[in-house]
This record gives sequence, structure tokens and C-alpha cells, in this order.
Amino acid sequence: MKKAVVYLNQFFGQIGGEDVADHAPEIREEKVGAAMLYDQLLDAEVTHTVICGDNFMGSNTEEAVEIILDFLKDVDFDIFFAGPAFQAGRYGMACGEIGKAVKEEFDVPVISSMNIENPGVEVFKKDIYIFPGGHSAAKMRDDVKKITDFGNKILNGEKLLPAEEEGYYKRGIRHQYFLEDETPAYERAIDMLLKKINGEEFESELPIPELDLVEIAPAIEDLSETTIALVTSGGIVPVDNPDKIQSASATRWGKYDISGMDRLENRDSNNFKTIHAGYDPAAADADPNVVVPVDAMRKYEEEGRIGKLHDYFYSTVGTGTTQKEAARMGKEIAQELQDANVQAVILTST
Amino acid sequence: MKLELGNFYVKDIEFGAKTAFDDGILTINKEEALEVVFKDNHITEADLRIVKPGDMVRLVPVKEAIEPRFRVGGGPVFPGVTGKLRQAGEGETRCLKDMSVLVVGKHWGGFQDGLIDMGGEGAKYTHFSSLKNVVLVADTDEEFEQREQQKKNHALRWAGMRLAEYLGEAVKDLEPEDTDTYELEPLTKRSKELDELPCVAIVMQPQSQMEEKGYNDLNYGWDTNRMLPTFMHPNEILDGAMISGSFMPCSSKWATYDFQNFPLIRRLYQEHGKTVNFVGVIMSNLNVALEQKERSAQFVAQMAKSLGVDAAIVTEEGYGNPDADYIGCLVALEDAGVKTVGVSNEATGRDGGSQPLVTLDPKADALVSTGNVSELIKLPPMDEVIGELEALARDGLSGGWEDDEILGSSVKEDGSIIMENNAMFCGDRIAGWSPKTMKEF
Repeated sequence: MKKAVVYLNQFFGQIGGEDVADHAPEIREEKVGAAMLYDQLLDAEVTHTVICGDNFMGSNTEEAVEIILDFLKDVDFDIFFAGPAFQAGRYGMACGEIGKAVKEEFDVPVISSMNIENPGVEVFKKDIYIFPGGHSAAKMRDDVKKITDFGNKILNGEKLLPAEEEGYYKRGIRHQYFLEDETPAYERAIDMLLKKINGEEFESELPIPELDLVEIAPAIEDLSETTIALVTSGGIVPVDNPDKIQSASATRWGKYDISGMDRLENRDSNNFKTIHAGYDPAAADADPNVVVPVDAMRKYEEEGRIGKLHDYFYSTVGTGTTQKEAARMGKEIAQELQDANVQAVILTST
Repeated sequence: MKLELGNFYVKDIEFGAKTAFDDGILTINKEEALEVVFKDNHITEADLRIVKPGDMVRLVPVKEAIEPRFRVGGGPVFPGVTGKLRQAGEGETRCLKDMSVLVVGKHWGGFQDGLIDMGGEGAKYTHFSSLKNVVLVADTDEEFEQREQQKKNHALRWAGMRLAEYLGEAVKDLEPEDTDTYELEPLTKRSKELDELPCVAIVMQPQSQMEEKGYNDLNYGWDTNRMLPTFMHPNEILDGAMISGSFMPCSSKWATYDFQNFPLIRRLYQEHGKTVNFVGVIMSNLNVALEQKERSAQFVAQMAKSLGVDAAIVTEEGYGNPDADYIGCLVALEDAGVKTVGVSNEATGRDGGSQPLVTLDPKADALVSTGNVSELIKLPPMDEVIGELEALARDGLSGGWEDDEILGSSVKEDGSIIMENNAMFCGDRIAGWSPKTMKEF
């Protein structure tokens, strides 16, 4: 039999009400309160109940999470439930915090239930499965039924359907999906077009998400004191590509020492080349400075127009590289640059 | 312009003494067919194979797919490419249906090449596993690009077209089983009934990102990188005016077969006179510089306005950088008062968490999604590989890799594979066949 662990707050864990909301985390090797309902509905045994006061989790999040993860490290479980939290904001945030941490630490499915008004939904729906729930504990049975039904599908290895069919809040995670009726794209396109022409309702298959735009930083007034780094997504690397950066869909980046170099020497002289598969490499292989302009920067350095060119340039490949990987690599590189006291970056693409 | 496409439904293909089509059976004289292939001295080795739906055969690296055809009265099937320039889209062309010529490298693959499984679990990922295919598997002396990731594949692609024309001649003197007639009245001479229907155009954005010649889709032999958006009759597309190039990650590709059959065009024809007045095709392109993108979008919007287009389908052969052209074109049309629907694939990453297109705009409010280029696909070994399986890992196919910390190589010792959808041959069927969409999970 598979095993489940349930997280409840002080109230549903039968410790008490608001007066004991500071209750420190505890774990019990039994089914407490709502955990009994879970046990009835699940194709798994609830072996442990974790209980924590909402205020304790809210004010000492790090400590609470650490304590609970420590409880769980010797517990053998296949699935983790938190809540239902209904419309209770602190409880919802607590379910999210601990759910996210358990997911990351133990890589088991984590499922919760919250009312749409619960702030926990917006914050944590990307991290764990959260199902829409009722306003209050009157909906306890319905809400637990919903999430245990879904939990059972996972436990039994059944095929999971898209979010809108399973019913959990959409998480911004998009995968390709073979339509059951195999309606080809041309039928869907004509259908959508006719609806749009006729002013009928239609549903885009790609609803445009909110854009994550970064504000442009204020200009630097005096460059003569500034250390500037060159960072590229143009795939310029030493000819042996020591960091094995992929030619497309990159997940790796490299940093290469250019101290003492007046310019980047080219592929023919066995120095630098591009491994980027998304553009014609001829010009960059012949002269890598067209992508990473070390030559021009040295000139500026000599003329005193900039303080200093940073001793390393950073490189990855932009083609096919997902925005998420790009953001991660960008953060990692930015951290290095900050640690090295670089004040400005010239980002070159292809 | 009136085009009659005469259909000969191929039920089976076999090798025999004489190349002929009889009662649904295409017989091929292999020796004679290979002579056609070897007409180009750059072809050093070549063989023909026949594969059918359900065969446990894996093809890789696949470079091109072409429908064999014969132009009645003579003349090249691909004007300006396999012969002299002439008008396509008028007259009669005979087509061998339910089959294609697939061109496979005997050894070397590249960024733009893909994979087809004819049977098993992998067959669902591509249209070509549902066809009977004559596979040209060959090698060339184009050593300058053998170790290059980007290949023009010129000798192989042209050999495929010659072969398709050669096979098409088998139905030269035969009557087709049935005929699809495609005809649009001249724009200014349409009936009142037609004029009252909403005017619809299809805007096509074929792949044209390479500055150097030899990689891009060709329009009557002309490099699409060097053209401005132009107005075309849909019949021209269906009748060999456009051929595929050799550049885009493969799941996003429109093979020449796709142009010849373009389902979105054929489907719009069905609506013509019923629900829409099908104006025609605005043939745009996908270039890399921002000004080129803006110029193309401006031309497309201007043409749509001048033609009185009320609504348009915009479709893009590619993803990544070209998404800017795709969204830019949709926005330019919406700004011109044209109601748009877009058809393309997405790149949400292996975990599905990334932004789906490089640029997004709320005005692109009606999009059809045909797949995720970066979806991971694991497939078991097949009984036979035609081509070279190692190419998937070794040669920089857009969906393959030599080494990965967690996943290892794309090609496993037992012949099983793990790859991104990127390397599935025309896997996202953007021309319109895709039974896939994108869903939130």
C-alpha cells in the first residue's frame, strides 16, 4: 500500500483555535482530524499527520519548514497533501510554503485545495497542484474528495489530463497534447477564424500571458571609471568548447579569460569560434570580435573612454534556448559580475 | 486561374522490371530510378528503399519529402528549380497520392534534418509515417559541409525532386481516379454573392533566415530571403511554385510535400463561396534583421488593406527569432483592421515553463498551437534504421545531442533514443495537419 502524509494547521489538527496559532510544528504517526477523511478516500494509507500553527509558519517560515523537512526525512511516503485551506489566507500560505518545500526536497506529488480568493493560490499554484475549494470548512468533504480523486489518479499511474480537465489552477506549464478527436490544426484555424469574423466567442489555444518586462536601467553618466563586461548569446567559445555549451537549446554558459588579449583571435588560428547553430557562422568564425567586440573595447580602454574591460567574457547560445533557462543563466552570470564589481554589461546577440 | 490536380491513389509500392502505375500499385525499376538520381555527379552512393505505415523502421537523418507528380503537357514540376521558369497553378498536374519521396542522408545529418519512425509509438509524431514512402538514401561529395552543422543538402534535395518527377511520369498517360479542381475568379471580376462574403487571405511566412544562398525556401527558384512580400495565387503553392529549404529545426519545417498539399489552403478553398471569399495568398518571409521584419509586416498589412481583406490566417515556418515576424505580422494586420488567426508551434521548454513565443502581444488573440518544439520524446529501438542513427547525436540535429549530464547521449547503445521534438521530421505539422495542441498541465 502506498503511503501519504497530510499537513494541517492547529485548528484542523485539533490543537485549538486562534489562541494556539503559535503552535510549533509537530508530527504524529497517526491520522488526526481531517487526515482520517483523507485515509478513507485515498488508495493509500495516511501514515503521518504534520500539524503546525498558522502564525508559527507565518512568522518563522524558514524554521518551520526546516523542522518539518527534518521530521519527514526518515518517513517513507509517496504523496503529500496540505489543507484544504478554504479562504483562510495564512493557512493557504502555510500549505503553499510547506508544499513547495516538500516537493523540492522529496520530489513527491503535492496537492492542496484553496478558495480562489486565498492569496496562497497566486503565490504557489506554479509550485504545487492547487484545486479550487470552498469558502469554509462546510466544504471539507467536497474539497478533500476532489484532491484525493486526483491523488488516486497519480498513485495508480493513470494518464493525467490537462489542468482544465483535471480541475486544478493553471500553472503556466504548457505541454503538447494530442487531441482525443485528432481535429487537425487546419480545422481548428478555420473554425476560429469564422467565429472571429462572425463576432462569436472563440478560445485561443495560446492565451497571451502577462509579460515579464524588465525596466531599462538608468544610463551611466561617466564611463571612464566603469568596468564593463562583455556577455553574449552568440556562442563564441574557445575552439575546443571546453564547457560543452550546446549549439541550440543551451543550458550551459562559459566564462573565458581575455586579460592581456587585444582582440579575439579566430578559428583558423585555433583560438575562438562560434558554436551557435542559429546563424551563418562564417563571419564570426573569421573574426569573433564581430560578436564579442574585444578589439573595440580595448580601443575605448586605451582612449580612456571606459575604465576597464572585465577580464572575462561570458558566453552561451541563444537559439532555441528557453526563456526560463535563459533567465537562470542570466541570473548566474549577473551574480558573478556583481561579485567581481562589474558596473555595466554590453550584451551582444547574433 | 484553374488548376486540376489529378489523383492517383497509391495502395502499394514495389520494385519491378518497369516503372509503371497499375491499379493502385506503383512499380519502380530501381536501376532506372537510380540513374536519375546519379545524374548529378555529386551523388556518390545511393539506394532506394520502400517503407510503409507500421514498418518497424526508423529513418534518420531525413532531409526532405516530396510528392511525385507529372505536369500534363510537359514542363518541370518545380518551375525555376527543376526546369525552366513557367507559370504554376494553371492546367493539369497529376499526383501520386498517399505516398512521398523521402530523402535520407546515408551518413551525415545536420541542424535542419529530422527523424521518422514508420511504426510503433513514434509513428504518431509525423504525417509521413501515414504514407507509403520511396526512400532515397544517399551520400554526396559535398565535403565542404559534411562536418558543418548547417547543411544546404543541395545534391540530395535536388536528387529527391528529380526522383519525384521521374516517378510522376508513371501516370503520364493515365486517367486519374478523381480530380480536385481549384479555381478562383479574378479579384475584380467576382460575383456579387462572393463580394458580400468576408474576404479572407492566407499569409504564409516561409523560412528565409539565412543570408547565404542555398538554405532558404525558394519561390520559383528565387531565394525567399531576397523577396518582399508578394501576392500569389493559392494554386501556385499547390502546384510546385514553392520548395522547402534546409535550415529550420525540423519539427517546424514545411517540406516541399507540405507546400504541394498545404492543408490550410485546401481547407480555405472548401469555404470559398460558402462562408468566405478566398482572396489568395500573401507570401511573406522570415528574415533576421528587425527592419526586414518590420518592412515585411508593413507590406503584408498594406496588401491586405489594398485587397480589402477582412480576415487572415497567418502561419509561420519556424520558431524563435521568426516569432517576432509572426507576432509582428499579426499585430500589423490587426492594426489595419484585419481579423487574424495565427497557426504555429510553441517553445515552452522541456519542463513546459518557458514563454511560448519569443514575442507576445495581446492583439494576437486567436492562435492555434501545433506543438512544443522542446518536448522530450523517448522511443524504443526499431528493427531497422535507414540512414545512420548516430547522426541524431553526432551531427547537431536541432533535437539531438551528443552528451547531457542527466540524459546522456540522444542515441543509446541498444538503439533507443531520447530527443527533443525539434528533430521530429515536420513533427509540428504547421501546414495544418497537426492533431496536437498545447495545454496547461
